[in-house]
Amino acid sequence: MSEPYAVPVPKGYRVGVWEVREPIATGAFGSVYAARRTGDGGGQLPRTAALKFLPTGTDTPRQLAHLRELIEREVELLRRLKRPRLIRMYETLTVDDPADPRLDGATVLVLEKAEGSLSARLAAEPRPPAGPALLAQVCAGLAQLHRAGWVHGDLKPANVLLMADGSVRLADFNMAAELEGTHAYTPAFSTPDYTPPELLWSEIGERGRRIRPSADVWAFGVLAHLVLTGSFPLPGATPATRRDAAAAYARGTDELRLSPELPDAWRDIVRSCLTRTHADRIGTEALLRRVEAATGGADGAGGGTGRLPLLRRPFARGGHRTGGRRTVLAASAATVVVAGLGYGITTWAGDRSDPGGADGRGGAVPAASYGAEELRTDRGVPAAYRLLIVETAHDCERPEVSPPLIAAMLRVESDFDPNLSDPAKDEYGIARWTPSVLRWWMNADGTPGETVPEPPFPPAESIPAMGRYLCWITPRLDAGLPGDRRVLIAVSYRTSYARVNDAAGVPPKYRDYADRVAHYLKKYTPPGRK
Amino acid sequence: MYSIIVVPPPTTEDERSRTQLRLAPGERLVFGRSVPAGGLLIEHDGVSRRAGEITAHGTFWALSNLSGHQTYVVENPEGAGEHIKVAPGRLEAPVPFEFSRIVLPAAGDLLPVEVWAPRHDYLRAEDGADGEPTAPAFSVDRTKRYFAVLAALCEPRLRGAPHAPLPTMDQVVERLRPTWPAASRTSVQWNIDYLAVKLRLKPGPETAEPGPRLNGKKESLVSLALRFDLVREDDLVILTEPSGQAHR
Repeated sequence: MSEPYAVPVPKGYRVGVWEVREPIATGAFGSVYAARRTGDGGGQLPRTAALKFLPTGTDTPRQLAHLRELIEREVELLRRLKRPRLIRMYETLTVDDPADPRLDGATVLVLEKAEGSLSARLAAEPRPPAGPALLAQVCAGLAQLHRAGWVHGDLKPANVLLMADGSVRLADFNMAAELEGTHAYTPAFSTPDYTPPELLWSEIGERGRRIRPSADVWAFGVLAHLVLTGSFPLPGATPATRRDAAAAYARGTDELRLSPELPDAWRDIVRSCLTRTHADRIGTEALLRRVEAATGGADGAGGGTGRLPLLRRPFARGGHRTGGRRTVLAASAATVVVAGLGYGITTWAGDRSDPGGADGRGGAVPAASYGAEELRTDRGVPAAYRLLIVETAHDCERPEVSPPLIAAMLRVESDFDPNLSDPAKDEYGIARWTPSVLRWWMNADGTPGETVPEPPFPPAESIPAMGRYLCWITPRLDAGLPGDRRVLIAVSYRTSYARVNDAAGVPPKYRDYADRVAHYLKKYTPPGRK
Repeated sequence: MYSIIVVPPPTTEDERSRTQLRLAPGERLVFGRSVPAGGLLIEHDGVSRRAGEITAHGTFWALSNLSGHQTYVVENPEGAGEHIKVAPGRLEAPVPFEFSRIVLPAAGDLLPVEVWAPRHDYLRAEDGADGEPTAPAFSVDRTKRYFAVLAALCEPRLRGAPHAPLPTMDQVVERLRPTWPAASRTSVQWNIDYLAVKLRLKPGPETAEPGPRLNGKKESLVSLALRFDLVREDDLVILTEPSGQAHR
């Protein structure tokens, strides 16, 4: 291979019990070598393995902050997840070799040794006859990953490995991220041909790019089309033109024209992966069922059939996504109930029941006592808002953002007046939102509104947006500030977290506000609760 | 999903707040004195009724000269006179610059239409060999002014003080002056605003209001740049040596 190896390691080099053999591949973030075990493996280690050398040493020229982060992602995932369709990691080692500064300090992942990658296989033989069976296993691997609460983030042929027995493993988890609710944050890297249109040139925050499992579903659709037809689904001679085509398709100015060579059974599958928006995309479990139906359950080992199709969701949130600005209170509240009751949460997007049919009485619990164990029922919190308040608090994984805090803030902000209108201060609605600020929190998926919204802001919109903002503020407040953290969060909502950090507590101007929030916080908290 | 930004010529009324038109790949923008709805109206008697059309692609754009007899010049404002000419009747001439200024000759006046192409791709040293490279979501041109501005902003933290306060606008101007004598607060601010567009900075609620809260934007830019190694310590040499490009 003419390309220089990211981490050159001489043949015969010893790391732990391993002796390095021939190079296998080099990627953006490290190099992989075959290795054989020299000692006895204690019954745990195989005779051969693939060693992935990652340049983390102090003297390596690539000692870069973000590389370290990418490596940590992969190690973290492989340590925690052992699944049949994910590449197995046996151990991690650190090179201790002061004589070779390029290698000293490098992290070594000892991985299952594969025969090759799907990328190499396709180069040798486009449209392999085993294509459908391979795809069924790739899909099973994705389902295993998503069930465990992770997103791959960079699914493509080079990251699909083929084992000696013909089975498939997903690998290269540098971009993988653990879901936080409906999203995960990945480093801002991607492979253009496999990137869904909503992530092309998407906004990037300080934590990286927000992606959903549906990004992997799009990538699977591209991969399936490529494996089965030998061509990409979107037209163009180069990745850049195909990226433009994806953008044009997503904007609705162009149709999806799949290759006529695509077998009928796969046409609908690929189409359901390659939808214009993430919301229309098929869920991973439904996808797996359709792929298995198309291939006759080709995935032998570790298949996904018969398993409860329930995506593990670390935090229940996002139940009212796509609620939209125009959703009326009743509809939005009803979907919140569905989330709260923990319905089979597989595909949020798409097959949510018709909000128009909902009547706001979505559960058996009467509104007046909803969430009674967390929010007192006898202190004047209007019954109409209890559900929204309680479920909004539950949408945030931060314990500080509790039902009593939200209720106390609404009491102080507006006395629960949904029609509040204060043009002098430019604040409107039950949560006293300033339109230009609400814009950044109005959508459940974290995207800003297209334009600055105009009042009125109904409670079904104001309260969840408030919860999202509070949830965002919480980790940004300095640790160790004096006083009740919940009150500091409330004050940050009124002013900004930066001012509260600067003042190292409640700024004098907001003491009265803070005292009132604290008063109602105490009043609304049930006895025995903090 | 826009990839090209068009900034119309300044008019006397909105000299300060020039609107930006964002085009997605495949979108077209007709400009001229009398254009259909959705086009860019340039109210000047010296401009043709349908003067031209901009077609957005992902990383570049193309200019069609629809006028009868005027040649349009597309300049690279940071390119030391680098420019291309688009003759009357030429359709879809591709423009390779990241920053461009279309100069429309109009009865003695020259009207500038600025077009930015912030999605240019650049090679990264880490690109591997197996299959398609995994590309960073943003790539920057280290010879551009915006990169010098970013480097100056990041400098204190790259020099080993991770929590150092960011340089003020005046300090940035001072720092850049040896290699960029014409630097001013306005031009530095322009570059900061452009960087926020180019790096697709998610605007936080702190920057929801335009105006004095620039610090949030600078702070976010610096933390993004340092986190993804867009500027490294080695890059700081551009603050002391010209980056190879000539000056305006």
